[in-house]
Amino acid sequence: MAQFTAAVYQNEFLPDGGTDVNAIVTISCEGAGTAGQSGSGNAGEIIIVDTSGSMGPATMAAAKDAAQAALAEIVDGTYVAVIAGADRAMLAFPTVSSGPGMVRLDAGTRAQAQAAIDRFVGSGGTAISTWLDLAGQLFASVPEVTQRHALLLTDGENRERPGRLDEAINRATGYFQCDCRGVGTDWQVAEIRRISQALLGTVDIIPGPEQMRAQFQEIMRKSMARGVADAKLRLWTPQGAQVLFVRQVSPTLEDLTDRRVQVNPLTSDYPTGAWSDESRDYHVAIRVAAKAIGQEQLAARVQLALGDDVVTQGLVKAVWSNNSELTAKIDKQVAHYTGQAELAAMIQEGLAAKAAGDEATATTKLGRAVQLAAETGNDEATAKLKKVVDVESETDGTVRLKRTVEKADEMALDTASTKTTRVRKEA
Amino acid sequence: MTATPPAAGQATVACPSCGQPVPVGSRFCEGCGAQVVPGDAPPPPPPPPPGSPADQLGSAPISAPTRRPADALPDPAPAQGRRPCPTCGGEVGPDHYCLSCGTKVPSERDHYEETPAPWVAGVCDRGIVHDRNEDAMAVLAAPEPGSRAVLIVLDGVSNSIDSDVASLAGAHAAREMLRMPLPAGMATPESRAAAVTKVFEDTVKAANAAVIATTDPDSPNPASATFVAAVLEGRRLHYANVGDSRGYWLPDEGPGVQLTVDDSMAQAQMAAGVPREVAESSPQAHAITRWLGRDSDDATPRVGAIDVTEDGWVLVCSDGLWNYASEPEALQQQIRAAGTTDPHQLALALVAFAIAQGGHDNITVTLARVGVVQNASETPPAPGEGA
Repeated sequence: MAQFTAAVYQNEFLPDGGTDVNAIVTISCEGAGTAGQSGSGNAGEIIIVDTSGSMGPATMAAAKDAAQAALAEIVDGTYVAVIAGADRAMLAFPTVSSGPGMVRLDAGTRAQAQAAIDRFVGSGGTAISTWLDLAGQLFASVPEVTQRHALLLTDGENRERPGRLDEAINRATGYFQCDCRGVGTDWQVAEIRRISQALLGTVDIIPGPEQMRAQFQEIMRKSMARGVADAKLRLWTPQGAQVLFVRQVSPTLEDLTDRRVQVNPLTSDYPTGAWSDESRDYHVAIRVAAKAIGQEQLAARVQLALGDDVVTQGLVKAVWSNNSELTAKIDKQVAHYTGQAELAAMIQEGLAAKAAGDEATATTKLGRAVQLAAETGNDEATAKLKKVVDVESETDGTVRLKRTVEKADEMALDTASTKTTRVRKEA
Repeated sequence: MTATPPAAGQATVACPSCGQPVPVGSRFCEGCGAQVVPGDAPPPPPPPPPGSPADQLGSAPISAPTRRPADALPDPAPAQGRRPCPTCGGEVGPDHYCLSCGTKVPSERDHYEETPAPWVAGVCDRGIVHDRNEDAMAVLAAPEPGSRAVLIVLDGVSNSIDSDVASLAGAHAAREMLRMPLPAGMATPESRAAAVTKVFEDTVKAANAAVIATTDPDSPNPASATFVAAVLEGRRLHYANVGDSRGYWLPDEGPGVQLTVDDSMAQAQMAAGVPREVAESSPQAHAITRWLGRDSDDATPRVGAIDVTEDGWVLVCSDGLWNYASEPEALQQQIRAAGTTDPHQLALALVAFAIAQGGHDNITVTLARVGVVQNASETPPAPGEGA
């Protein structure tokens, strides 16, 4: 049985008249077990591979190899389907046209799935909305599957009328999780990030076909380790309080604020998907009515709920004090993650400005990003920024845009913008 | 707050909230502050058998009829369940936060109230600045207004270890000693005074023993506490104190009196001619010269008695109140501002007054009403009114 723990990092002291409470809540899971094996329902995995005509022979061969590697990570007993995606989605495995669209994996069905992957042929365009919709229908055809995860690989920009993809994302949101990978440099980071963020997954670039196998293996291994099916971050705030934002800040930055599902007038749930043995950090910001000096109040209970069971809880407090030594301090964790959130925004806005030809804005924003990456010790971001800009001074944030930049480096910087580093926590 | 295990050999029950052992008869768990359910509390102990400490009156003979078992005052009924949130009236969760507005509601140890009879009440509160309540009180009363009441306050010294546990243990030990009517002695006033003095001395000894019993023998900073008690029997008011917690007689009309004399540096200065305002505001004013506890040299109480002829209030309180109103006249002003003859409402109002003044120390207010009581259900006046 999985064990959850919660730890809260905050400065609970507010000055006279202070209203805004910030806290980082770390939630950790141990003993998660294996997906579909912990008695909370069956796991289902769908592998979605772009088989449009743009996939060249080398890329297609690598994609087949990677899909085989992912399949190899899926444990027997898991429900599986494979989708070949082009102008429309084709169910490559199982080869059925009605009834349940996923089958349980055993030695026999595994061999059939492998054969189906080997038969992939590239042709046609890219209509990702149809891929997501088919995945949703396949999951829905097997009601005993309660933990739903898909892996999506694409190499090109979506060729559909605007809005179609977003509608499909909306239909899938809250129903299945999806990790997305883009191969090469012809796909749109912002587009694919919309899918992965809404579907509680990750997004990354696979610059060359040779890295594909390892990435797929890792994604599927992680998914199989998620023995806790569907957990929700549950937030209680007092009467009259306002939730300013709820963000996952580690391992990646995800704004959860708008994903709120009301439980009762004081309590809301935010979906977090499936959990493996891992720990995630959440940043909550709550506005409460100011109280008199010396008074204390609870600003939030941050809980993790499995179904209706609350498995762990952290208390976010507010204490009003006129001791400025206490109230002036900003918690180290809060400061760190506030910086990381700004870093992500600066990278994304800077790259967007650069793409739009606004070099002045791009220089300012990416300069600020370099400064923040240095301050918060995000070495990965620093390394990736240095491939896009020449740094004059890290501390001042003065940079020059590089004249020639590899498209893949820019995309890698963009996809990595939401990856955060942790503060070393004192024992 | 650090929990102190009950002394060896003491009978215990498990705290219904945290499971820690709690001495039989305790109202609160000293570990988590939860209320111990009344069902687990034994009924008031039977009157002490002859030869027990309470009955050892030395050379002073006892007037038997005044010490019948039926005269033992019962403990006040403990409050049922968790009090609702004082801010919004909502339900309070087991972690002491209101489930509706989130306000931190004090634990039972940080704020408790006792109303043994409609004419007698006490409120013991953490105040604002201190992070725990080291004051303790115990109040007893017979139902008949003006018949018999016992008010006890102990103020745990804040720089000693576990003095919150010690003060509560001391208050409860003192309560057991004063549960029975005071002895009448032989017919002479001198004999009665000697018998009463002996009871108060034994009471302080019992409270002192309880304070010491809660102290770790190896503690470098043993728990210590002040002591003050007043016993009203009809119109006769007896009192005794060690340290700087006080008893006052505050009539509705005419001047009031501070009954007790502090064992404090301020008092010593006042005795040497320094005016009260100067002495009580000097940095050393609150250094007490005598106290209960393992490192106490002399815990013999100063004892006295007066006859109260008018209607008014017996007030026994800790310095958390009198810091803001030391002179009897200043206290009478606050009582008039509160405008109530309900002792519970008045105690709440005086605590609210001290909190409005800054609440720099724990605040304990215990009151017995002499004369008419109109138990009002209206809310107490706003804190600080008339201040």
